[in-house]
This record gives sequence, C-alpha cells and structure tokens, in this order.
Amino acid sequence: MNKGEVGKSRTRADALGKVTGSAIYPEDIVMENMAHGVTLRSDVPHANITVDISEAEKMEGVVKIVTAKDIPGINNHGVLFKDHEVLCESRVRRVGDPIAFIVAETEDQAKEAMKKISVVYEELEAVFCPVEAMKEDAPRVHEEDTNVVFHYKNREGDTESAFKDCAVIAENEYRTSMVDHAFLQPEAGVSYMEEDGTIVIKIATQYAHFDRFEISEALAVPEEKIKIINTEIGGAFGGREDISMQIHLALATMITGRTIKCLYTREESFYGHSKRHPFIMKYKTGADKHGKLQAMEVEIIGDTGAYASWAINVLRKGGVHSTGPYEIPNVKVDSIAVYTNNPYAGAMRGFGATQPPIGHEQQMDILAEKLGMDPVEFRLKNTFKVDSVTANGQVLVESVPIDRCIEAVSKEMDFKDKSYRDTVKKSNRKKGRGIGAMFYGTGYGNGFPDISQAEAELTKEGKIVVYAGAAEVGQGCKTIMRQMAAEVLGVESKDIKLVSEDTSLMLDSGTAAASRQTYNTGNAVKKACEKLRDNIIKKGTELLKANSDTGIALKNENVFIRTLPDTKISFKEIAQDLDGKDLKTYAEFIAHATEMNEETGKGAPYWPYTFGACGVELEVDMETGKVYLDDAVMAQDVGRAINPNLIEGQMDGGFAMAHSYTIYEDLGLKSGHITNNKFSKYLMPTALDSINVKKIIIEDPESTAPFGAKGIGEPVMVHVAPAILNAIYDATGVRMLEIPVTPEKLLKAIHENNEK
Amino acid sequence: MNTIKLNVNDKDYEVEIDGSMKLVGLLRDKLHLMGTKVGCGEGECGACTVIMDGEVVASCLVLAFQAEGSKIITIEGVGGETGEHPIQKAFIEKGAVQCGFCTPGMVLSAKVLLDKIPSPSEEEIREAISGNICRCTGYEKIVEAIQLAAKEINKGEESYE
Repeated sequence: MNKGEVGKSRTRADALGKVTGSAIYPEDIVMENMAHGVTLRSDVPHANITVDISEAEKMEGVVKIVTAKDIPGINNHGVLFKDHEVLCESRVRRVGDPIAFIVAETEDQAKEAMKKISVVYEELEAVFCPVEAMKEDAPRVHEEDTNVVFHYKNREGDTESAFKDCAVIAENEYRTSMVDHAFLQPEAGVSYMEEDGTIVIKIATQYAHFDRFEISEALAVPEEKIKIINTEIGGAFGGREDISMQIHLALATMITGRTIKCLYTREESFYGHSKRHPFIMKYKTGADKHGKLQAMEVEIIGDTGAYASWAINVLRKGGVHSTGPYEIPNVKVDSIAVYTNNPYAGAMRGFGATQPPIGHEQQMDILAEKLGMDPVEFRLKNTFKVDSVTANGQVLVESVPIDRCIEAVSKEMDFKDKSYRDTVKKSNRKKGRGIGAMFYGTGYGNGFPDISQAEAELTKEGKIVVYAGAAEVGQGCKTIMRQMAAEVLGVESKDIKLVSEDTSLMLDSGTAAASRQTYNTGNAVKKACEKLRDNIIKKGTELLKANSDTGIALKNENVFIRTLPDTKISFKEIAQDLDGKDLKTYAEFIAHATEMNEETGKGAPYWPYTFGACGVELEVDMETGKVYLDDAVMAQDVGRAINPNLIEGQMDGGFAMAHSYTIYEDLGLKSGHITNNKFSKYLMPTALDSINVKKIIIEDPESTAPFGAKGIGEPVMVHVAPAILNAIYDATGVRMLEIPVTPEKLLKAIHENNEK
Repeated sequence: MNTIKLNVNDKDYEVEIDGSMKLVGLLRDKLHLMGTKVGCGEGECGACTVIMDGEVVASCLVLAFQAEGSKIITIEGVGGETGEHPIQKAFIEKGAVQCGFCTPGMVLSAKVLLDKIPSPSEEEIREAISGNICRCTGYEKIVEAIQLAAKEINKGEESYE
C-alpha cells in the first residue's frame, strides 16, 4: 500500500538542529570537571622506540599518562587484521602512530606534559613505494615475511591468445594518489563513567557497535559495560571507520574514573584517520574490428601504508570492478595490497571501485579512437545487460540499466558534434567533452557477514519507534529509514521516532559504509515494520470485529475498514490490547554474497550492482594548465528513489569530491610525512570552482531491495574522474594517466605533446 | 587577564579573556555558543564564520580583544531555536544541509550577502560563500537555497510596503 512516503523529497529529519546551530558534535559537549586528553604521535616513519614518561608525569595538572603498559586487554585493533597497536609499545610504523595519551586538567597542561615525554627513536629502514615494498629484500613493515597483505586473482578465458586476434589494443599504466577524506569536523570525543561503572564514549563514528567491540577487547571489559553514543557526525566518507581516539578515551576513563575530552586539530586529523589507497594500475585492453571487447589484463598494486585496515576489501573491490560495466570474454586480473611506511589507507567513498575507472574508461576512449568509433557507441556495444555474466561468473539477473544511463548522458551532452569546441570563453583555452561509465557492487563483499538488524515498536501511547544502529554521516539515513518505516505502517515519517545513536538501546546494523545502509538496513527496517504491521492488523481486525484482514488498512495511526472508513481503531487502543511480545518486532537482513575462488575469482562477490554514467564539458587554459569545468550531466541508477532530493544531494556531493580528487587534492607525501596537512595547503574546490550538474535519476527497481532502492553514496563519485580525464584529452590531445591533474602537470604534458 | 565588553546576539557581555584567546574561543568556551565550529583553525574553511559589525569574519583568526565594543552575530542569533530566518528555511527546503558542520558558517555568510545585496547574482552568491568549504553538498543546493531565501526575503519586504 502506498501512503506516499517512499519517493517523496521529505526534508531532512536532522536539518533544523544543523541550521540553527543546536546540533551537537562531540567537540560541543561540555561536562563538569572535565579533564583533557592529547595524543603523542611518532614523528618518524619507522623506528624502534623507548618511551620514558617519568618527567612528564611530574608536570602540573597531569592526571594520567597512558601508555601501552596500561592496556589490560589486547593492545591491538583493526577492522580486519588487528595490526594497529592502540598505543605503540616498542615500534612505530608510520608518522603519526600513537605512543601515549596524556590526560591533564587542561589541554594546555596536557600539551606541556607531552613535551616532557622522552621518546628515543632507533630508526629502521623504511619503505614508501609499494613496488619496492614487494621486493624480497625490502624492509618489513610488520612481522610477516612479506609486505603483501592480499592478492586477488581473476582468471577468465585465455587473454594471451585473445590479444593475438584483437584489431586494436591499448596498454597503459595509470596512477592515482593517496588522498584524505577531509571531512569538515575534526575527530573529537568525550568519555565518562556512569555510576554502575559503564564507560560511555560520545563520538562521531561510522560504526558504533564495532567501536564498542574493539574497546572491549583492549580494556578486557565486557561489551555491555561499554556504551557508544553517536553524536552528529561532521562528514565521514570512510574516514571514521577505523578507531581513532575511542580506545584511548575509554582506557583513560577506566583508569582514572574521570570525564575526558579530546579534540584533534586539523593537522592531527590528517594523521588521525585512514586515507584512500593510491593504485598503480597496468591496463591492457583489446577489441575486435567490430568494437567488441575481447580481452583485458589488469594489474593493480595498492599501497595500504602501515596498516591493512580495509585493504583486502578495497583491493578486492578494485579487482572485481576493474573490468568496468562491460562484457569481456577473456580477463586476467591481479589486485595486490602492500604494506609500506606511508600513512595507512582504508575505506574512502568508492571502497576501491573509484580508482579503476580512471584506467578502464580511458582505455575505452583510446580503443574507440583507434577504431574510429564514437566512444558512446563503442561503450554501448559492450555494456552489461540483464543476464550478462561478469568476469567473476556472476549473472546480473535484474536491474542493469547501464545503457539507459549512458544514453541519458549522451542525449544531454552531444559528444559527436564537435561544434562545442568553438564556444571557448577565452582564446587561450581549448574545450573538450568526456564520458565515464561505472558499476558498483554494494556491501563488504565475498561472503563477509553483511548483517543489518532492526526493531520496530508500537508504544503504549500508539507511537512508532524504529531502532536501527545506522550512523547518520550526512547521507540522510535518519530521514529515509523513517520514510521506509512510515510507508509500511501508513503513518507520516515525521511521526516516527528513530533510535540510532546509543549502542545500549539498539542492535547492530553494520557500518555506514560500502553504500549499504539503504539496501541492507533499509531491508531490515522494512521487514521489522512489516511484522509489526501484521501484529497491528491482526489485533485491529479482531477489535473491529471484521471477519478477515483483507479489507483492513492503516492510516494516520489508525486501523480501519477500507470500505467503511469511519469504522476504525487507533494504534493507541490496539497497543493497550496487544501482548507485550507483539509490541516490538525484530528483523535482520543478510546481503547475498558468496566467497570467491582464490585462484579464479569465481563467485558472487556483491549484490546488488548500481550503474551510472557521467559527462563533463570543460576548458583547459593552454598557457597555465588550469582546468575549468563548464557543464556536467550525471545519470545515476538508484533502483528506486526513496527521497529524490537526498539522492540529488549525493550526486552533487559525489561529483564535487571526484572533481577535487581528479584536479586538486595532494597530500604532499614526503618520506611518510604529510606535508600538506592543513587546508591552506590541501586544496579543495570552493563554490567558485563548482558547477551545477544536471542530475538524472534512473529508476529500475531491484527486487531484493527495500521498495527497489539501491545504495548510491559511493557510486555517484566513481564515473566522474574518467569523464574529466577524457574531456581533458578531447580538449588538449593529452592523455593524463596520473591524478591529480595539477596545472603544472598538465602544462608539462601539453608542452611534451607539442614537441612530439 | 583582561575584561572586554561586546554584544553578542543582541545581548551585552563582559568577558574575561587572555591575550592569546581567539574570538571563537570566547564564543565557545566562555559563552558556550557551540554553533560556531572549528574546522581548520587557520581561516581556510569558514566553519567558524560569524558576523562582526556587519561583516563576515573567521572567528578563529580574530583575537578576542579585537572584538572589544563590537556587535557579533552567531548562528544562535539567527532565526531562533525554530530556525525562522528565510535562509534557514530555504536551506532545509532545498536540501542544502548534509553533515551540517559547514552550515552555520554558510548561513551567516549568506546573511551578510543578502543584508547587503538583496537580489544577488549567482556569481555574487558563489563569491560570498567562497570562504566556506563544504565537503558534502558540492555547493549547488546551497547556492539554490540562497537564491530561494533572497526571493522569499524580497517577497516579504514587498508585502510590508
């Protein structure tokens, strides 16, 4: 029954607090008798260390200096491998590794005490290049006898012989950079102890339940004695997946009993969380004379820095998506994650699927040009259709609207008629257009347990409460979870209470990552609400003395007989009569995926897949190398739009982040140091650099999804970089194989091309 | 320690400060006006934007003593708890808010713009918020929200006349 909640652009449930300034982020929390914590971090990339805190402990105001020695449980954490130390005991592996957590009455006192801690560094040989790190004689970042963390393989057909029969082959090496999420709210948190000894951490995190688990392991305290309360979250994009200060705060509160606040500066924040994996991608792609792709070989080397974090999932996702949304009969993929002494890399919007299109989509244009074909037509000859089989052997059984996305883009932006080239704004500029296409598999992948739980409750007052541990990182999940619940229960979304912040009140719904909340937790919420609806209808039928539930409907917190709308009973009256066990319902949803064969890559790594295409028009200043965006169009498959306005917001934001990734962002890595660890150096676009993207929502409902809706937080970023890079080529005749395309790099490439 | 007098959101204050305190420290730590955010601490991101004597300032760069005698407006001084200002309403309606951390600064930059130029061009809007970084929205819905707010404010004024 459609009550008009799903598909409506409801305003955000969290917007009022955010526009009035009353929204509380962790740094805004002030409590009585609060002590302050600061973190001493390594300033060398690889060393054995000896730490002496005896002088520092004597400093004024010091409450406690926590080091590795104070950890009662396991001094390790990590989302997959427990390879981070909570506080480094005897060795540091990157600049920024935490060594001690200093708690004092004031922040200034904590900082003064930090200066008195003696750390003797016995420097070890470090490695910063992942290719070097793979060599046998490379220094080892961890205890293992190799720096290789993970090797994904896909073997389909026979690429070697297929290349012999190809009419055209493109072979290139593409490189992407390590970048920061640069969420606007630097990490902050507050910890305190409740009367019964429960340790509470108020923090902005993507996965409160996992934080609780990791804290419990380090503190050797049961999970039920730890409570995580998610505050408002000032952006995340994957950077709040791994633990930052959570264990430090919990540990210090456990030892001292004190309420403690910690706040990173922007400079520290750059060292406080993960980065996007930089990929080195060797692509060899071949097509026959008709423009059908025949073979693709890809080798990806991903630098995960000092810690694995999500490296396995990221390089796996990179490997699976390295073919692009195309049918290719012969495929050979190797995707390898490697430790170095660089900042550690983890989850960032796209989760490994963002880098490969920079390769495969430029390969598509190169092959099309060699064949004298239109790049749109060439793509459409090769795209996945319903019942296509991926290089992993997975059948795409439904909802595969990639052709519709590409066609929608090319309808808005004509790539064939080159007359746009004559419309440059200044004579020293050249204009170009480019297209990029993508697919993206939702979830962690490879059979990794991808579970979301939710509960729905009818209160005695007749109100609906939904419980789901899904973090609101800005994507809008507090709004759409309500909309989905409201749709099922025939109420208005604004009347639904959502409990999604406190681990002691709601169950684990998995992390707000991998574009999985709408699909996974949305499914769990929908199922829990359907069970509650059934209970309400059953009791309502009985109380209304109807002979069957078939004529019963729900509206505005009432159950009524459809053909006798005045014959109704309120949720409140039903709640009074319902058994306690029927007032609260539980459901879980587990996404479909199987483990892949380690040697061949055969399996069902993800479900569902989301598709999209993007077109960009830009101008290049041939004297400065600066790129100016003029126009863009994005056509995004969403399955079904729960809230079109929120989807548009994701499309705009994904475009902007990808624009920034392609042209601007540069950490300035030097021997493991982030030299651009402030916003005056880490450049990102402002409103003067951004453009109004034409946004086209493509609906093709997915039957396993809640109301057909797929996740789109990450897909919206993936096709943008290649569209920009193909447009730069169209304008200048220069192939940029490496991002970011800074003005200096582009100018150099233009000059080199002129000399040819 | 020195004492300075200033007016914040139409309320007079006498505040004890030390010489190195920044205006944002005064607002957050002394007056507990937490709507003013700190994103970078070097005047690059605009999360700490407040209005000082009618002008946009980055309160993380202004020393507290420089605010002596001045009139400050923070987000708490705009539209009240229910967000009644047309800019706030337009931000909600247009979907110009995501994580929300840049929002107070954006609203205040927009307010100064519209106070000075009631019907700004798109370029003037982009210029006015170019000191405020947003990592979530790509700015477009913020620009649209400010356009809508301008329209609403102008409509309101016409009806008063």
